[in-house]
Amino acid sequence: MTSGALDPAAAAADVIIVGSGAAGGMAAYSLTKAGLRCLMLEAGRDYDPQAEVNMFAPESDAPLRGAATPDKPFGYFDATVGGGWQVDGEPYTMQEGTDFRWYRSRMLGGRTNHWGRHVPRWGPYDFKPFSRDGLGVDWPIGYDDVAPFYDRVERMIGVNGGRIELENHPDSPAGCLMPPPKPRVTEMLIKAAAESLGIPVRPAHTAVLTRDMPDDVAPRSACFNATPCTRGCTIGAMFQTTTSFLPMAKATGRLTIVTDAMVSRVVMGAAGRAAGVEYVDRKTGVRHQAKARAVVLAAGTCETTRLLLNSGDGERPGGLANSSGQVGRNLTDSTGASFRAYVPALADRPRYNEDGIGGQHMYIPFWLYQQQKRGELDFARGYHFELGGRFGIPPAAALPRVWGPALKKAVRSASGATIGMTLRGEMIPNKDSYCEIDPAVKDRFGIPVLRFAFRWSQNELNQVAHGQRTAHAVFKRMNAVILDPALPPEKIITAGGEIIHELGTARMGADPRSSVVDSYGQTWDVGNLVLMDGAIFASGAHKNPTLTILALALRASERLAERFKSGAFA
Amino acid sequence: MTPSRRATLQWMMSAAMLPLARWSPPAMAAESGAAPPFDIVADWPDTLPEPPPAKGYGRDPDLTKPVAPWPLTLSKAQRTTVDLLGDLILPADERSPGAGTLGVGAFVDEWISAPYPIQRADRAQVLGGLIWLDAQSRAMHGAAFDAITPAQRVELLDALTAAAPAAKMTAPVAFMDTLRYLFVLGFYSLPEGKADMGFIGDQPTPGDYPGPTPEALAHFAEVVDRLGLRES
Repeated sequence: MTSGALDPAAAAADVIIVGSGAAGGMAAYSLTKAGLRCLMLEAGRDYDPQAEVNMFAPESDAPLRGAATPDKPFGYFDATVGGGWQVDGEPYTMQEGTDFRWYRSRMLGGRTNHWGRHVPRWGPYDFKPFSRDGLGVDWPIGYDDVAPFYDRVERMIGVNGGRIELENHPDSPAGCLMPPPKPRVTEMLIKAAAESLGIPVRPAHTAVLTRDMPDDVAPRSACFNATPCTRGCTIGAMFQTTTSFLPMAKATGRLTIVTDAMVSRVVMGAAGRAAGVEYVDRKTGVRHQAKARAVVLAAGTCETTRLLLNSGDGERPGGLANSSGQVGRNLTDSTGASFRAYVPALADRPRYNEDGIGGQHMYIPFWLYQQQKRGELDFARGYHFELGGRFGIPPAAALPRVWGPALKKAVRSASGATIGMTLRGEMIPNKDSYCEIDPAVKDRFGIPVLRFAFRWSQNELNQVAHGQRTAHAVFKRMNAVILDPALPPEKIITAGGEIIHELGTARMGADPRSSVVDSYGQTWDVGNLVLMDGAIFASGAHKNPTLTILALALRASERLAERFKSGAFA
Repeated sequence: MTPSRRATLQWMMSAAMLPLARWSPPAMAAESGAAPPFDIVADWPDTLPEPPPAKGYGRDPDLTKPVAPWPLTLSKAQRTTVDLLGDLILPADERSPGAGTLGVGAFVDEWISAPYPIQRADRAQVLGGLIWLDAQSRAMHGAAFDAITPAQRVELLDALTAAAPAAKMTAPVAFMDTLRYLFVLGFYSLPEGKADMGFIGDQPTPGDYPGPTPEALAHFAEVVDRLGLRES
């Protein structure tokens, strides 16, 4: 079944990069700038935002008014193509009792074409969680190691935001951030109510340009305050690799991209080194091999893990780079829960344009580190709230059961009077949450699939319960009507994977016996095999991971380029 | 996890990102001990015809040429009733036309004909409800809903929007909850509906986001005052 055919474009590659999302895009950008020739293999199809994004069409142009369906889980016009919670012919399985969701975009640019764009910096506590509360493990690096890369990544991808000035929420040095947009009325009201309760509300850091970013190859324009970001952005205001890193890397002449290339395993060569990878052409089913002097896996946390586990052989029955036994372990996702309220005080409020830069302009960073340190909370680690509430069609729950002129009046009155607080929190790794190879099931290419096991611990449930009490207290402070049914935390917490922040299944560490990679993503077992996506995270933090994925990928790429320069792969 | 919770979560996830609220299923009509509004309450239909086989638009449709590939399935008579209900539920006034006249009935048909789980569940409720409505109308007035007097329709619609429905009325009220919200979604996502709500947006505004207008800020200051929240 292996054709053995060598892609001629690959013959001269220094580095194979598997995946074209945040990590793969950064690797391609950084490594090609450093003079290395890269072959990027993307499992999904080629994708051109300029030709394919329908940015301005009203939802009423779409089937079902653009509503979410199993085919398009985030709505018809959402940028994700060819995938979603399921990919045809590429299943995943679950241990009995597990409810886990794995979101996969099968397209060039991966999950950067649709993402949350909320890019908070992680702080000192986030890299040393074990030192703080004795749970999980510390990272082998600290905030000071990553900070210079945060500075650079914020300038590279374009981030707007304001000062936070709170414990464990480091502010960016001058010159890193673009100015944040003004808050909307709903955000101002949440701020007034929350701050009266001692809960801070701050400008969010968002990967959307509020200033033009000129570039010879991939110029990007400031946001024009319209159109949903998740459709993709043809003016490049939102960061996605398809309008930034990938065209820039291609312009060096040193990047070859092969799409529809589903990598099935890492191929080992002599002396314990990776020789390249084997991949299946998704269109023809033909298997190819590509060779390079180093291999970068940036396929996304779980896909990278699957690749390692499927690359074992007689010498490595537990998978490649898995002498620690940690590959597939320590799987985490962010916790999630959403709270909504109808605010009578906002009924019939004066209309104005609330589109802004798409998502939230303000958020609630975690604020209880001191109370937590004193032992006053029944959960470890933090959470934050993302804020919502805009003019538009009110949710059904905010409308009275009336018909006729009364219903029209109710809709007008309730439009813009509903607000939301969406919780995202940190999960601590536990022994019951992991992924492994399903011994019985293969995908349509014959590649064994992942099987997930997942469980929230009491820590996460207590955290969500605290968030529920907090959100409801904020709502009550503005005399709002809570629209959430009264449910216990285990009924309101999202399913594992649902927040699409999978992390940790090939974690970094200082000790090869308990970690898979070093702080540069280099696997302890295979010197020329480098991991760059969320798999290498030693913990999850409550903060969205993409900025940190980009910073670590930049750090790892520059280290890899240095090693090339010093002749490590000669 | 129940389907309705899944749908709600989806609504929330999308709502955080999109300017228009997503569809979420209305809360189930809670049954009360109240007496039925009519001497005779028709039975909810036991069985409904199977929908014809249909395919969705797939995971990778051409987003620049949106098409709903499934056939519409309402009969001519059902569609007439739906259009009539649309003009009653969201009637014409000085701001906008009635939902039926505006063609939102076609959206209801597209919705309940779609081969996805949420839409299939709504299909059962809407088709069952249309059958029930005619049966109830015949039982009370000897004619289908289309053929009774406006005052008789008002009486039925009032019963279908009771805040605390009687035991035999929970399914019909749940049907009307679903249908009403389908009309709300279908109507207010059209340009005429957005204009009715006074929605301002969907237009490129280069430069810094202007933020709330002076009028909106004045209203906000009033709200903060009234709630006793010091403006920070």
